[in-house]
Amino acid sequence: MSVLKNEAWRLRGWAPKAGWMAWRNYDYQLTIYAILLTIFGLAMAYSNSVGPTHTLLSANSPFVKSMLWAVVAAVVLALTTVFDYKWLRSFAWPLYLINLALLLLTLRFGQGTGEAGGAGRWIVIGGFQFQFSELAKIVMVITFAAFLSDRRASAKSLWTIIGAIVITVPPWVLVLLQPDLGTSLVLVAVLAGALFMSGASLLWLATLAASAVAAVPFVWQTMADYQKARLITLLNPGADPNGAGYQIHQSQMAINAGGVAGKGITNGNIPLPVQTTDFVWGLLAEELGLLGSLVVLVLFGLMIWRLLLCAWRASDEFAMLLGCGLATMILFQVTVNVGMVTGMLPVTGIPLPFITYGGASLVSLAGGLGLIQSTNLRRERPEW
Amino acid sequence: MIHAPRMRNLELKNLYRFGLFAIAVGVAVTSLGARMVYLQVYQGPGSYVGPSQAPVQGQQIAPTRGLIYDAQNRPLVENVVTYTIFVTPADLPLDQEPTVATRLGAVLNTDPVSIEAAIDSATGSLYTPVKIAENVDISLARFIDENSDALPGVTVSAVSKRQYLNPDLFSQIIGYTGQITAQQYNQWKSLGYTKQDVVGQAGIENSYETILRGTPGTQTVALDAAGKPIPGLVNKGTDPIPGSSLTLTIDSKVQQYAQTALKWGLSATRVQSGVIIVENPQNGEILAMVSLPSYNDQTFADGISETDFQKLLTDPNQPLLNKAIGAQYAPGSTYKLVTGTAGLQDQPACSNAIADYSYCNTGTFNASTKLISSPQVVVNGYPYREWQGFQWYGPGDIKMGLAHSSDTFFYQLARMVGIDRLAYWAQQYGFGRPTGIDLPGEAIGIVPDNQWKIDTQGEGMFTGEILQAGIGQGFDASTALQLLDAYCALANGGNLWQPHVVKSITPPGGQPVAIQPTLLNKLPASAQTLQTMREATRTVVLSRHTYNLVDMPIKVAGKTGTAEFGVRDKNGNLPYSEWFVGYTPKDAFNGDFSQPDSQLAVVAFIYGANSLGNVATEVVKYFMMEYYGLTRYPLSQVLPYRINTWAARRTNYYNLGQLN
Repeated sequence: MSVLKNEAWRLRGWAPKAGWMAWRNYDYQLTIYAILLTIFGLAMAYSNSVGPTHTLLSANSPFVKSMLWAVVAAVVLALTTVFDYKWLRSFAWPLYLINLALLLLTLRFGQGTGEAGGAGRWIVIGGFQFQFSELAKIVMVITFAAFLSDRRASAKSLWTIIGAIVITVPPWVLVLLQPDLGTSLVLVAVLAGALFMSGASLLWLATLAASAVAAVPFVWQTMADYQKARLITLLNPGADPNGAGYQIHQSQMAINAGGVAGKGITNGNIPLPVQTTDFVWGLLAEELGLLGSLVVLVLFGLMIWRLLLCAWRASDEFAMLLGCGLATMILFQVTVNVGMVTGMLPVTGIPLPFITYGGASLVSLAGGLGLIQSTNLRRERPEW
Repeated sequence: MIHAPRMRNLELKNLYRFGLFAIAVGVAVTSLGARMVYLQVYQGPGSYVGPSQAPVQGQQIAPTRGLIYDAQNRPLVENVVTYTIFVTPADLPLDQEPTVATRLGAVLNTDPVSIEAAIDSATGSLYTPVKIAENVDISLARFIDENSDALPGVTVSAVSKRQYLNPDLFSQIIGYTGQITAQQYNQWKSLGYTKQDVVGQAGIENSYETILRGTPGTQTVALDAAGKPIPGLVNKGTDPIPGSSLTLTIDSKVQQYAQTALKWGLSATRVQSGVIIVENPQNGEILAMVSLPSYNDQTFADGISETDFQKLLTDPNQPLLNKAIGAQYAPGSTYKLVTGTAGLQDQPACSNAIADYSYCNTGTFNASTKLISSPQVVVNGYPYREWQGFQWYGPGDIKMGLAHSSDTFFYQLARMVGIDRLAYWAQQYGFGRPTGIDLPGEAIGIVPDNQWKIDTQGEGMFTGEILQAGIGQGFDASTALQLLDAYCALANGGNLWQPHVVKSITPPGGQPVAIQPTLLNKLPASAQTLQTMREATRTVVLSRHTYNLVDMPIKVAGKTGTAEFGVRDKNGNLPYSEWFVGYTPKDAFNGDFSQPDSQLAVVAFIYGANSLGNVATEVVKYFMMEYYGLTRYPLSQVLPYRINTWAARRTNYYNLGQLN
């Protein structure tokens, strides 16, 4: 028996525990929360597809496409779950370079909305739009985890922080050039979260954060006009009722109209800007009311809690940082998106995870969750 | 309860930081939830903002554009309403785009794919409407408007359009309107123009844009939640004021005569490009102006297609260019007016004459001084030939020189006058600067002098170039209008009027305000000099240099011109264009040229005519026959229909007995 024990010790890390034993560690709660949130997202896509007039559901509608993407996401979730996450630690850097290449491709060949004057944010592959900046977020979570776990010995060093910033800059610049202010902020948030959770020096982090704040006036000068307008709108929403302020005005009106119980699915009738994507929260609050929106917020909270638990239980730093990075990403996106739609934060075009219509976002999240489950399956016996 | 784990890498995880993170999650979820409670319960559905508090938007009401009439008050343009179909991408859900495109395509009878392509390829804001179809029939426009539920994002807009009633005759004069350019916007934005305005882009539509436009009215519109105007919630500000109407100096009938004459001349010589302008020398009114080939300005009003526009732009004959004012050519022998006036007025010393070629060896040049017209003059060893090598006229005064258009005569006179004085007189006649006619796109022309040559080519004028300048060749360049205006100054006794095509401006509901002629220059030439030159131009006709022009029952004076240009053919001959500029006395049938009372001057120019006879003269003759009503017999009997053969030319005399 002792031999077997020793063998098991040796195998640990490079193979899952044999058979069904491993699946004991599968975090069913995490997956269930993800499925519930996706169902909310599908409901919103359905509402957007048929609208208050109950038009016919077309094959091109957001709902049908979301269903397809949900299937793809389920497959990605399953594949990443069985995939041994430790390989990623070896492949983090090639993945990082591929990520940069995809972002460059997007800049060169991307198609986009009219808003930023023909800027490209997504690439169309076989009729499906794919936004590689969504994938970039997950890849950066992996990259940070790999980098910081490699520098475990010098976690408190300033150079660790500087190194992490240096690897953030190329994708950050490429995303900002699209221009996608929202995703670039997410990258910074994930960087900060990963550094914090890896045990980086709080003194240096605070110093750097303070100098970043001091640099704001200079950054302001380099911002695009529409980005400036969004910030100004936050400070004074009445300034431009037909421009950016109009979005907040409309979304608040929709949220107000929802009340406690909501109008019911597909009954939302207050026109919202980009109500399938960035402002989907307004539609959700209008149709599902306070009850629905609180349920969704609690689901997000529980999901992040489970991610933190997974990170806490992880058997190595890489796995822990994966969990923390994903938790940071979801927390930041939920806070900023809902904060933006409810008028607490500036309008920055950040998608709401699982709810926002968008294949890249859903598939990337499924990939991230699958990796966390992979760390669950491959960790040592839970200790509580 | 959390027990301390026993794993060896436990120290990797900082319980405090995990705790902080968890607290952050709690704070975020709680505050977002609190905000939702505040918005949905505390504010609640009752705080819905109704239309009474809706934002308002200021709008402009377009004024009615002024109309344009010919000299006999025949309307040349009217305003009609057309319907344009727009799609606003923000109002068209992405998934409904194919359906809407299919329905719209079926209604408009266009390819749905092109509609989708138009929507997808539109750059700019999603809220900016994309134009799908123009000039839609009113019944279709109503149908689309009434079925807006089935066509989300589709709007119909009624736009006033220009309908040009005589595009065949007036396209070059009236021009067309089009979307304002960035340059025009900067020029006119202080006058209240917006980037959506349609403004004049050519012709009178352009030069009188600010007068034709009128003043836009204003209104404010209440906007609904989606930012769309709410029908009925309109507050009228000010009413729009229609633009002023214009009356041209051009009579459609005279314009038709001129165009018919020019078309005949072009077809007789089988070329494409030519110009005819008719002007009243007494006040600078343009009575007709035709530049061929022309274009149809209605195609611009209807929204010209890109291929058609490219075709016009790349046509080597430049149909978009009004060659009467916008193109400059060597004036040829018509320029001898300048040389002759300079000679008579400056009275240069005969010592500057070319030895052996003049009877002017002492004293100064005057109206009776004789210079020898010979096959060639030799200066510094180079021969300068008479225009017809086999024909010359011997000694003669300036009337003889001009009558036979003797190049050798004017070579000598130009040399005596000198290039700088020659340029001075050319400028006095209005050459080398725009006439300032009220049409856009005027060319400047070139009057060469020593300074000009030094500025452009770094050295002074050579003798040969001076001689060439004296006969309107070499560097000399003039527009047809400049040339005509110079002869008008001769015909009216020295007044250089600014030509104009608009006779009066009628404000809305007001009386016409006549445009007063502007005097550009009073020629510093004596009445005697000008009378001598007028008689010399009459001698051109009387000497049968212009063949049967003299046989017409009206009195015409004028000057022919032949201007070489371009590249020599295989026989070493240059292609040449032909000019004729002529005028009649006030009483064309019985008057004479002693008084400066002419009321009609005509210039014709045929580009690259290369005919043996001067076809421009025949064009002017044709025009005058029509204008003075001399066509009692079929034109085929009196007109030289085969002008480009020498034999036809010789036998082509009027039968006066028949005409009377």
